[in-house]
Parts: sequence; structure tokens; C-alpha cells
Amino acid sequence: MRLGLGVAAACAVVACAPLCAHAAGTIKIGFPIPLSGPTAVYGQPVLQGAQMAVAEINAKGGVLGKKLVLLPRDSKANADEAVRLSRELIIKDNVDFLVGTLTSAEAPAVSTVAKENKIVFIAPTSKSTILTDAQHIHPYIFRISSNTDVEGLAGATEMARFKSVKTVATIAPDYAYGRDSINAFIKALAKLRPDIKIVDEEWPKLGEADFTSFITAQMSKKPDAVYCSLFAGDFVTFTKEAKPRGYFTAIKNRMVDGAEVGTTDEAKALGNDYPYGIIGDAYDPVVWVGNEPAAHKKFITDLKAFTHAKYASGWSIVGYQSIYALADGIKKAGNTNSDKVSKALEGLTFDTPVGKRTFSVKSHETFAPEYWGVMAKEAAYPFAIIQNPELLPTSFPTN
Amino acid sequence: MSGSLVFSQFMGGLTTAMFLFLIASGLSLVFGVMRVINFAHGSFYMLGAYLAWQAVQWVQPSGGGFWLAAIFAAVAVGLLGAVVERFLFRYLYGRDELYQLLFTYALVLILGDAAKFLWGVGQLSVSAPPLLSGSVQILGTTQPLYSLFIVVIGPAIAFFGWYALNHTGVGRMVRAAQMDREMLDALGANVGTIYTGMFVFSAFLAGLSGALVTPIESIVPGMDVLIIVQAFIVVVIGGMGSFWGTFWGSVIYGEVLSFGILIFPGFSLFSVFVLMAVILIVRPWGLFGKPL
Repeated sequence: MRLGLGVAAACAVVACAPLCAHAAGTIKIGFPIPLSGPTAVYGQPVLQGAQMAVAEINAKGGVLGKKLVLLPRDSKANADEAVRLSRELIIKDNVDFLVGTLTSAEAPAVSTVAKENKIVFIAPTSKSTILTDAQHIHPYIFRISSNTDVEGLAGATEMARFKSVKTVATIAPDYAYGRDSINAFIKALAKLRPDIKIVDEEWPKLGEADFTSFITAQMSKKPDAVYCSLFAGDFVTFTKEAKPRGYFTAIKNRMVDGAEVGTTDEAKALGNDYPYGIIGDAYDPVVWVGNEPAAHKKFITDLKAFTHAKYASGWSIVGYQSIYALADGIKKAGNTNSDKVSKALEGLTFDTPVGKRTFSVKSHETFAPEYWGVMAKEAAYPFAIIQNPELLPTSFPTN
Repeated sequence: MSGSLVFSQFMGGLTTAMFLFLIASGLSLVFGVMRVINFAHGSFYMLGAYLAWQAVQWVQPSGGGFWLAAIFAAVAVGLLGAVVERFLFRYLYGRDELYQLLFTYALVLILGDAAKFLWGVGQLSVSAPPLLSGSVQILGTTQPLYSLFIVVIGPAIAFFGWYALNHTGVGRMVRAAQMDREMLDALGANVGTIYTGMFVFSAFLAGLSGALVTPIESIVPGMDVLIIVQAFIVVVIGGMGSFWGTFWGSVIYGEVLSFGILIFPGFSLFSVFVLMAVILIVRPWGLFGKPL
């Protein structure tokens, strides 16, 4: 018996040896992201984008000769859980960096963990301005997506183009992101079109199952157009309840939505129930009819193969960009020390399938524009796509 | 505030109310008869929605066959209810509420993960049946036919339930089981079968409401937990175990929410919870319930 145990222990040591040696030559990236609950719809494709980037980089020999290893954890879109997992990833798994989180509830919370532990943390999707504003910025936090100010400006730019619109109503989920994005939109619109009046604001809760009463209340104010920040399942439910009530006809389809309802994910879910003619946006149009950049075409082809999906997700790109940005930062720094990598990331310009991005030195974000356009029916696809995707806004703070 | 606005707000509230009633009535029945708070009731509702989507894909991917799909989903969830009652719930009767809560909550997690495993995490959607996808003009407002259908089907099921409970032999047995289980058992009635029957009917209602909700709501993971909280509020307002209580509880919830949205935008949910607090202070056993 004792001999058996000894042999087992010896085997364990031998078995570990190659693994342990291997571990020394890796760069570990902790990746807390919602993989269950309603927001997993987007958590999963963001993770898949990151996994594809890791696979590509490793196939080319890794970074500084080391392989990247992704450690995904299910944050359940819960700030406390994301913080707990991040601490565990740092202490137990000895990760070198953190990438991930989806919502503006998780990201600012994980940002404080990154600050305490002096570990670079890249947030792919959190849009709330508080993540990197003057009070919350620290050397280790970086953001890939745009923020609500950028989104509101782009939305206001689209809205301002409706010359005959004099009254606008808004509808957005009642939490940090919804409030921030509507405030930014109203501020930007006041500058672009001071003649437009905001006549109604509706605030359904996030995950609202029944928008009927919000819809009828809003219609009673007879707005010329609507700015909307509903997304994901909320937008699907809202549309299905609003359409038969004549909501979209009443506003002549003059709705602008800045919450990624232009993604294939959203369009696929609604199919022919999609309110064709509204203006939507996406991190990545995915289905790009017209002058598609070659790099984007290749990215989508690879992504479809990688995820075994017929149509790729419009969310994977931000996960993909996050990993490439981090890899470029490590290369530039020449090692995996977070202080060095943080310095390297400041002002770094990195290549992505949808063009170059640069981290600002002051606020560590890229102010990434998104693709906007009229959501139209295209014969070749069973769902709505963005017609002539246009990058908006065209100017933003550059400091 | 114009008449047509009040009417459309009222109809909106009524649609919400009737959906809630369809779901909450099953929850209330199971509590009334078996004294079990079934947190997994929302999971049955979610499975009804997913199964309806699945059946629509099988029958006709272009979106037809809705009614067939709805019936299939309701029956399938009813059968699942039979299995769950026979092999799992049976051991819970008469136990402490804490065990019931823990157990039914475990079921919520298991069924939630099972749905995710089978159907993924994406949002799914079913189009309204062609017959009911239009709308009509009533009092200067546009009312979707599908909402009107729900407003009719809710009271119909309420009436059916009330009639079955009060004017049929089965109903008498059920009420007897509610009052004194041991005595009914001693008199030779098969209480086990009554319990299974009630549970299956409750699961059937949950599955049916899940299927019926698909044309106006997206099917997403997490819809089970969202609905159970609302259904629970409705049952508490109306009085645990009271069938009509659940009906009026739903109507009050729907209308307070609907007019709350109009009158206190941004605080509509608040108004519902204030209502619940007031009712629970004045009548802790709910509007139609009996003091315990």
C-alpha cells in the first residue's frame, strides 16, 4: 500500500514535470465574463473572439516566445462575482493580466481589483464613462469599446440628419448604461439641433418583460422620432410589442438605437419581425454588403470556421481586439511586467480587422467609433443588415 | 389625459395582468392544495417557451404551426410535471418550508442550465400566428389582435378553473384535500393521484403561458427567474392559494404598473411594491386569502 502511494506520488511528479515546465513559458490571462444568465448571449461571443485571437497568436509562436493561455470564468454579469473571480485568478492562478467583463456593473468593480494588485486589465465592452473618467482612471485599466459619450454623439449625429424632426422621445433601460447614454445623447443633440425638443423619456427596467404600457404612454406624446438604448432580449420584446401597436408607423421608422441592435445577433433573433428602416449600430456589421475591407472579410471567414456558426456574431470583434492590443503591448514592453506593459499601452496604436485603434494617454480608451446605418432587408439574408455601414462619430476627444 | 390614452393604458395593463394570471394561477393552485411554494414554476414557464420555439422549427421553419407548437409545449411541460411530482416532489409534502425552498430552487438552477445546454444562450423569437398578427382600431387606439386574444383567454381559464373546483366531483376532492388531507385519505380517496393531477395541471398552465408569451416576448435564459418574482407578488397580493385572489391580484398589479408608468415615469415599479407593502400591512393574508 505504502509502495503504491509512493509510486503514485512519483508518477504525479513525473506527470507534472512537462506541465510545470510548460507553465513557465506561458502568459496567463484571466477572463471573467458572463457565461450564464441573460447577458451570456454576448459574453459568449466576446470570449470566442478572444479565444480565436489567442489561437492565432499561439499558432505564430506566441508573444516573446511564450504561449498565451486564456482562463475564462463565469462572472454571471454580477459585480461581486466578477471581483471574487478576479481576485482568485490573481492569487490562485497567478494570471499575468485580466481581460473581460461585459457590463458596466462588473468592469468598474474589477478595475479596482486591477489597481490594488497592479495588474493590467482590458475591458472590451463596458461603455459607462465612469470606468476611465478623471476620478477612476489608474495606470492599469484600458478600454476597447467606445464610451457612452461617444455613442450619444454618434446617435445625435444620426438624429440631427432628420431635418423635419422637431420633437424626440427617448426610451432606455433604467440603470447606469441607459441613463449615461441618454444624457450624452441629449447633450450632444442640444448642440447639433437646438430646435429639437425632448418630449418624453421612458425608463423600463433592464430585462423588462412587458413594454406595452411604456409604448402607449410614449405614443400619447406623439414624438416625431425616438432615440432608444434598448438592446438584446429587451429590444426583441420591445419590438414585438411595439410593432402591432403601430409604434414604428407613427414615428415613420425614425428611430435611432445606439445599443448594438445592428448586430447579426439581434437581427437574427427578430427575423422578419425586425423594424426595417430604423437606424442601428454595431461594433462589427459582420454581414457587410458593399466595400468590405479585406481584413474584415478574412476575420469573419475565420470566425465562422472557429465558432462553427453560419453567421458570425457582431460582438466577437471586441474580444479579439482586446487580446491583440494586449499582445502588442507586451511585445512593445519586452516583458510581462504590468507596469511596463501599462506604459507601453499608453498611446499604442494597434491594428484590427476594422481599422487602427489608439489608446489615449490620458484616459486609456480608444474612443472607438461604431458602424451605423439604416437596417434594411437584403435578399440574400433572412434578417436585417446595416445598409452602407458608416463609421460614427467622425470626431471625438483625442487627448 | 384623454379618454383614448386611459383606454390604451388600461388595455396594456390588462394584457400584462392576464399573462401574469395564467402563470400565477398554477403557482397558487399548487400552494393552495399541496402547501408547497414551487419556485420552479417559472422554469416550467421558460421550458414552455423554449419547447414552443423548438416545435415551430420542426413543424415549419418559416414560422407557421404556432397553435400546434403551443399545445405540444403545454402537454410536454405537463408530462415533465408528472415526472417531477412522482419522483421528487412526493418527498417534500409536510416538510419544513426551508427544504421546499431549497429543493425547488435547486430545480430552478438545474432546469435553467438544461435549457442553456439544449438551446444555447442566444435570444430566440417566435412570430405571432398569421390569424392574430394584425391589429384593430378601438376608441381611437390601435390594439393588437394577439393582446385581445390574451385578454379573452385569461378570464376563460379563470372561469374554467373556478367551475372545475366548485361544481365537479374532482373539484370537490381537490377542495377536500386542501382542507384535510388525512381525513380524505382515511375516507379511501387516493390523495396521491389528486396531488399528481393538480401538479400536472399547474405545470400544463405554466407551459401553456410560456408558449403563448413567445409571440410578444423574446425567449432568453433568465426569463424563469424574472417571471417567478412577479407571479409571486401577484399570489401574495391576492392571497396564497386563492384562485380568484390570484385573478384580482394580477389585474391590480397590471393596472397599477400600467398607470404608474404614465403618472410616475421612472417610479412605476416602486408603485407596485408600495401597493404590495400596503396590502400586506392591512391584510397580511392577502386580499382574498384567509388568516392563517
